[in-house]
Amino acid sequence: MKLIVILLISATSLFAQISADDVHTFTLKNRMKILVLENSAIPNANMYLFYKVGSRNEYIGITGISHFFEHMMFNGAKKYGPKQFDRVMEANGGANNAYTSENITAYTNWFPKSALEVIFDLEADRIAHLNFDTVMIESERGVILSERSTGLENNPLEQLWQEIQATAFVAHPYMWPVIGWESDIKNWTKQDLENYFHTYYAPNNCLVVISGDVKLDEVKSLAQKYFEPIPAGPKPRKVHTVEPPQTGERRVFVQREVPSPYLLITYHVPQTGSDDYYTLDLLSSILSQGRSSRLYSSLVEENQLALEVGTYYGDAFDPTLFYFYGVCNDAVKASELEKAILDEVAKLIDEGINENELQKVKNQKLMEFYRTMETISGLSNTIGTYELFFGDYKKLFTAPDDYKKVTVDDIKRVAGEYFTEQNRTVGILNTEEEQ
Amino acid sequence: MKANERWIIVDGRGGGRLILFWFTFLIILSSISLAQFKLPEYETVTLDNGLTVYLMEKKDVPLISFSAVFDGGVIKDGSTSGVASFTAEALRFGTTNYSKSQIDSLFNFYGSNISTYANADFSGLYTQFIKDNTEKLFPVIKEIILNPSFPESEIEKRKQRWIAELDQAKESPRSVIGSYFNKHIFGDSPYGNPVNGTKTGIGSISVEKVQEFYQTNYRPESTAIALVGDFNSTDMKKLIAEYFGGWKNQRQKLISDLKADNTPFESASAYLINKENATETTFLIGSYGTTMNNEDQTQLDVINTILGGRFTSWLNDELRVNAGLTYGARSRFAQYKLTGTFYISTFTQTKNTEAAIDLALKTYNRLFEKGIDEETLLSAKNYVKGQFPPDYETAASLSGFLAQKFIYGLDDSIINDFENEVNGLTVERANELIKNYFPKENLQFVLIGKADEIKDIVAKYGKVIEKSIEEDSY
Repeated sequence: MKLIVILLISATSLFAQISADDVHTFTLKNRMKILVLENSAIPNANMYLFYKVGSRNEYIGITGISHFFEHMMFNGAKKYGPKQFDRVMEANGGANNAYTSENITAYTNWFPKSALEVIFDLEADRIAHLNFDTVMIESERGVILSERSTGLENNPLEQLWQEIQATAFVAHPYMWPVIGWESDIKNWTKQDLENYFHTYYAPNNCLVVISGDVKLDEVKSLAQKYFEPIPAGPKPRKVHTVEPPQTGERRVFVQREVPSPYLLITYHVPQTGSDDYYTLDLLSSILSQGRSSRLYSSLVEENQLALEVGTYYGDAFDPTLFYFYGVCNDAVKASELEKAILDEVAKLIDEGINENELQKVKNQKLMEFYRTMETISGLSNTIGTYELFFGDYKKLFTAPDDYKKVTVDDIKRVAGEYFTEQNRTVGILNTEEEQ
Repeated sequence: MKANERWIIVDGRGGGRLILFWFTFLIILSSISLAQFKLPEYETVTLDNGLTVYLMEKKDVPLISFSAVFDGGVIKDGSTSGVASFTAEALRFGTTNYSKSQIDSLFNFYGSNISTYANADFSGLYTQFIKDNTEKLFPVIKEIILNPSFPESEIEKRKQRWIAELDQAKESPRSVIGSYFNKHIFGDSPYGNPVNGTKTGIGSISVEKVQEFYQTNYRPESTAIALVGDFNSTDMKKLIAEYFGGWKNQRQKLISDLKADNTPFESASAYLINKENATETTFLIGSYGTTMNNEDQTQLDVINTILGGRFTSWLNDELRVNAGLTYGARSRFAQYKLTGTFYISTFTQTKNTEAAIDLALKTYNRLFEKGIDEETLLSAKNYVKGQFPPDYETAASLSGFLAQKFIYGLDDSIINDFENEVNGLTVERANELIKNYFPKENLQFVLIGKADEIKDIVAKYGKVIEKSIEEDSY
């Protein structure tokens, strides 16, 4: 008895539900670009504001200021003083959050559709007239120091992570942690914050994405009313530093008392949107997505060498790192896990993968795509991310096809090109260094 | 989501703050009114073997969420700590016709994952797949639920890693403090059982113990399957009947006589867990709370929103925004079937431990001393109403609700009358509820930190019971 109707989905009908044509775009006179997606599945909407500034725009002495700035954006402007941004938003049924990466700073507002105009008013006020209250700066410093220490306290990998970035990069600002070094957090000044604001927080350095139960015309007129009068700023200085090629393996050790060692291995790889991007992203899935992935099935389950393994290839404007990480199983040495990971890498380069394995990770990408499409916040975040990192939000809708173009030969070639000994940095965190 | 955002700093802006400018800054507030959010239509079917099935069509993406829940969780661990969680995971270790690696490979090949888990009250299985693959995966899901083979080799391998993971988890105070808290509140009664068990418990697990737990707790008449997604209900019903209609469990059903022991605490006490290399103190303060189907819960959650459930809540405002003592402070009700807890949670640098606890207590006492005012209540009501619909936006969350409905006997009115319930909360009623539900006397403190440096401070709040984080039990 097989009564379910099996629909064979073709690539073209995949996106019948929401397509690139559903995203409307317009640009204000101050060059602020706004993307709108109408979707009335729930009576809610969101507004995502992406500023093209992150820790890569910092320099020694003010490391972490992008993230600190993100906090200060909630601490008072002209119409809405200290605490009022959150208080007014929540009283109108809205909630917010924000995140800072090496590349961007994103502000996220989720609200019932009735609050749309209030959100415009709140955002316009802080973009145009952010105020730096000395008392708020000091209490926020304490908050950030707590955020930094609680991250390190609860996650040894975070400690190793910052050391390996500082080792793998010698020139590019990707070398310091997004949260910044403790002494910089303690010492940056109000003047540093003001300079930062005037350099990066202009409408022409911001991308806005709104999705949910809204109407394009209404969004347009509110944008014209609230955002358009804010003057454009000068174009921020380009990050021109290029990390020189790595010419030999680097190693770093971090001492910390832990039940078993933590391991990180990185390789320099190209940025998001580059020719090899889709291949590298699929490589990451082949290695670590799901229990049948190469690293998990071999190192965690079959050989019991690790409690946890993974890979990470994040969005980046500039050439970045491809990470392998792992936590050793009880009584397993870091060197054993390192060798096992490198053996898997070598196997990938020597033998490549088969069509079935490639199809698997393409299917995983398709699932991810649908999951993104299921929520208005997933849509806004992803549309914005594609617009920023790929230069065009439409790339989101062609992503399943773009992944489809990757071949087994691409996988083998790209693994061989980047996963080399001289391009590698290895970091180990353990109670004591292995002899 | 395209990329794993694990390494990006995502700010948790979900805790609480104080009203410095309250009297000088007047916000004209009105009550917001949404089109009352309703649970989408669904169908309930009971098969001849007693299995309950919920079907809800949702066609915005071509995915199907499959959630199965089994009435038997960690509170049924008995003398083998961790056996509920271990058994749940062991369902995926192999079946009559599929090996563990075949199961993993099949789900991954179709872009999916399958997870099995246990929590205090129940065990569960969850997966989501592209609708075209329904008939490829149903035979596997069926065997995982009906015919797990519990191979010894897989069980032994997993036991070893599980034990190492228990040590690893203690590196992160925030991931284990809940287990210490429940142990302290519920003691040796079943709700004190740690979800992931102890090393001794896991070490004693055998194929027989897993079989025993499975046979006792996985039965069609105490199981529900909730399906939400892009399917036709009539076709899906036939498919479910075909795959799950033949499930039988011949074992005699045990009638559970579990009762929660909620005897009030006679004195305040502090459970101090020493972590030698800690630089922070992570702590919870609380006592008993409410059960899952408490009729006042929606209104209690509005009150808790004010205390510690949102960024501008009192706790977050005082401890984070005004004092800069922590990155976040919050409070919540953790509800179970037969009991529950209420607690305040935060963390701070070791040297600020006393300041943070004192400020948390002082802020909490405002609930009893000053109570809630009209304007704050209106803001909180608007907030919970505005944030409610996204909670039920996805097939995963809707199938989760239907599954919990089965386990806890929840009524759809929790969703359908949510807005009325919120609107009905007045200042008088709020202050009445505070008196009835929020624990005031003999609060219990659970702290993880460097004991030598905070022991004397902690003694001020109650009788200190000290334990090393390295000890196996919680």
